[in-house]
Amino acid sequence: MFDVNEFILKKAKELGFGDVVVLSYETNRRQVRFANNGITVAKNWHERKVELFVEKEKRVASTTITDLSEENIERTLETLLSNMRGMAPKEDYYGIAEGPFEYRDIPETFDKAIVELDEPNEYVETAINAALEEGAKRVAGVLYTDHNKLYLTTSNEVEAFDEGTGIEISVRAFIGDLESGHGTNSVRVLKKFDPESAGRKAGEIARLARNPEQGPEGKFDVIFDPLAFANLLSYMSFMTSAYAAEAGFSFLVNKLGQKVAADGVTIKDIGNLPNGYGTRKFDDEGVPTRETIIIENGTFKAFLLNTSLARKYKTETTANAGLVMPHAWNIVLEPGDYSREELFSEVKRGIYITNVWYTRFQNYVAGDFSTIPRDGIFLVENGELKPIRNIRVSDNLQRILENVIALGKELHHIHWWEVNTPVSTPYVLVKDVGITRATK
Amino acid sequence: MHELVEFAVEKALELGADYAEARFEEKSGTSLAMKNGNPEGLEVLADRGIGIRVLVNGGMGFASTNVLTKESVAEAVKKAVKLAKAASKVRNEPIRFSEEDFHEVYYEVRMRKDFRDVSPEEKLELLKKVEEEVKATGVNVPMRYLMYSDWMWHKILAHSDGAFVESYIPRVSLTYNLVVFENGQMEQAPFVQRAFSGGLELLEKDEPWKWAVKDVQALKRLIYEGQKPPEGKVDLVISPEVAGIAVHESVGHPYEADRIFGREAAQAGESFVKPDMLGERIGSDVVTVIEDPTIPNSWGFYLYDDEGVKARPRYLIRNGIITEFLTNREYAYKLGQRSNASARAINYNREPIVRMANTYLAPGDYSFEELIEDVKLGVYMVSFNEWNIDDRRYQQRYIGREAYLIENGELKHPVKRPILEITTRALWSSVDAVGKDVEMFPGTCGKGEPGQGVPVWMGGAHARLRDIPLRRP
Repeated sequence: MFDVNEFILKKAKELGFGDVVVLSYETNRRQVRFANNGITVAKNWHERKVELFVEKEKRVASTTITDLSEENIERTLETLLSNMRGMAPKEDYYGIAEGPFEYRDIPETFDKAIVELDEPNEYVETAINAALEEGAKRVAGVLYTDHNKLYLTTSNEVEAFDEGTGIEISVRAFIGDLESGHGTNSVRVLKKFDPESAGRKAGEIARLARNPEQGPEGKFDVIFDPLAFANLLSYMSFMTSAYAAEAGFSFLVNKLGQKVAADGVTIKDIGNLPNGYGTRKFDDEGVPTRETIIIENGTFKAFLLNTSLARKYKTETTANAGLVMPHAWNIVLEPGDYSREELFSEVKRGIYITNVWYTRFQNYVAGDFSTIPRDGIFLVENGELKPIRNIRVSDNLQRILENVIALGKELHHIHWWEVNTPVSTPYVLVKDVGITRATK
Repeated sequence: MHELVEFAVEKALELGADYAEARFEEKSGTSLAMKNGNPEGLEVLADRGIGIRVLVNGGMGFASTNVLTKESVAEAVKKAVKLAKAASKVRNEPIRFSEEDFHEVYYEVRMRKDFRDVSPEEKLELLKKVEEEVKATGVNVPMRYLMYSDWMWHKILAHSDGAFVESYIPRVSLTYNLVVFENGQMEQAPFVQRAFSGGLELLEKDEPWKWAVKDVQALKRLIYEGQKPPEGKVDLVISPEVAGIAVHESVGHPYEADRIFGREAAQAGESFVKPDMLGERIGSDVVTVIEDPTIPNSWGFYLYDDEGVKARPRYLIRNGIITEFLTNREYAYKLGQRSNASARAINYNREPIVRMANTYLAPGDYSFEELIEDVKLGVYMVSFNEWNIDDRRYQQRYIGREAYLIENGELKHPVKRPILEITTRALWSSVDAVGKDVEMFPGTCGKGEPGQGVPVWMGGAHARLRDIPLRRP
């Protein structure tokens, strides 16, 4: 699609635009949704589109073009131009990156076997059967396969191409109404795909969760399963964008250089993570993606930036464009040195939370939030797991990070409906987490 | 485009589909953002494509494309049929659809002030007006994020059971996040939205800047005068805004039939409601909850759903009794009923699933003064920030943003963050009186995989809850 990109760039220049970014996509996505041990719907999406960003005298505009005929492209550019006339300039706009750049192939991001995969239903059956073998009665979930091609051309000498694949599954297993478990697996190459482990984990948690009793409230040491902690970090990823901070959606506002987490907590965004579900070779301006340390040993080091925001704050881009809004690619919480068993043995009386959903903030700048454990929840007493239900985590995001006391040594890469930005996290033990419940 | 839609349906039948449905959608509009007084740029929305859904041997397949040529659409149809065939092999029982009366209809929502004729510059003035009015209050609001958006939503739906529905529905919306910082303390009104189906005149008449001003003034007062809310059992009066989120989360969602039958189990969850709970008491007899897509100019407005079924008001709870679930054709068939037109899709590339539209607590006969006059000790919760509910829609929590103490029948000082954490049955059983004036508030309802955020209104009348265990942060 570079020919389309070239044409758009040429026409945009003729019309007098300054910075221009043309990002074209060709995507093929396939989905199999299942519930009650059977497939509810199978889907296929085919899409060709161009995301276009233009600037003229600090006035910026963007659109997506799906009709790629020359006349529609010319009409779209003229519409943008006429709409921008008379608009006030964005005074804090400082341009896009200067290319060209060199790009390296990132391991485990493309696999022809996924492109050629004819029929993924056998993986769904594998996951369902694994969950049933563990004792589940009903299994639901979703499987995706992805094949994406990305073509980037900018007015600053960037021409870049990336091709990626992926396959992922999310499985939820039920025994009764109140007993369920969840497992996921997201990878970029077929040979690493393990739908059975996702099904098995879902089934196993459901089995352990049988006959839950009403949970307690108060302050508890909590072991967060990677699925649960990934949810919190995925919400937090938005708050690491400088744009979110300026707009009043981040507890990290005015905290650069300050301690915001326990010493053992190091959180990064890794755009070029091998086998990462959010991995790309370059950001929306063509800057090669890289690793950015957000929190290092508990100290807040950096917001995620694009070139314009970086220049505004007199620093370098972190290769996280989003031209308007920088965003994370793959959030990684560095592991610690606890085995899973050691982590559980640290807890004399606490709670193990396997999954959460519906994380909502009372106040974004303060970081106050609550989230609801779903699937198996367990009271942990001297190594024993006792199933409980109906509790809520009601706390503050910064306090949770400050109270991390132990981290597992294995990373789990999580991406599903509730974890939009992919997160790699170990098991995490947090002390004194606020737990509430309905009292009527 | 009509020919392409018909072509898709015919082609699917030719390839062996038992049922075929094609939906063309086009959205065109603009959005503008302003961050701390800086215009953030203009986004022009121009999106169109076609989605095809088929049943083959009781299996369901869906495919979409935004390349609107016969070849590309034929390819999508082929994929949908192939996927449906493969899916039918991994099903315990075939999918069947309810019998319905279908129509050939065209409808549109007229705009008095057509936003397509208004320049982005003039639309930006709406955001500037919010900025100016907020600044004029003298309240310190260091973070201000404002967003305007409009779009015309054009749909053409046809299917092999005989529906042909074309509609044009314009939508306008203004959203703000305002952070008030006074006296070393900070309070926030995030994602507050004003939104309608119709022309720009609706937003202008609504005067969103007045809502913004009311919010920042209330937050300032909360900072200076706010005290701890009472704890323990008190009476609670909830506003139409709070009643709205509560009916949406704890009545609308658990009454969605696809959720009741487990189709949404892996994502949005299941429901505490079971099919045999129709006719069961869930609230006091002053509680009636209505779901109505047909309210003129509402944010969740439609007259025909995305399966071509004619919309009507649905009584989910009547006088405290569960009376109706939200259904599409698949789940109406399972229940042995007719569909009540709840199938909605957010775009051409999404399947229609069971959704709400405009959900509200029906009015009673109390004035606001009557609701509070015999409250000895209580709280009036006007607006909320944090809220959530479990995935069976039973354990929920709402935290007040603007809220006041009620003492001996009078409103007193603001209270900070009163927390209502309660079960669905306790919530609706505790209502002893409902106000007579209805107000509605917009929202975006999330569900589906991949996610589908659909426009909805939520609201109703004020309600008084007796003996509620309130919490403090």
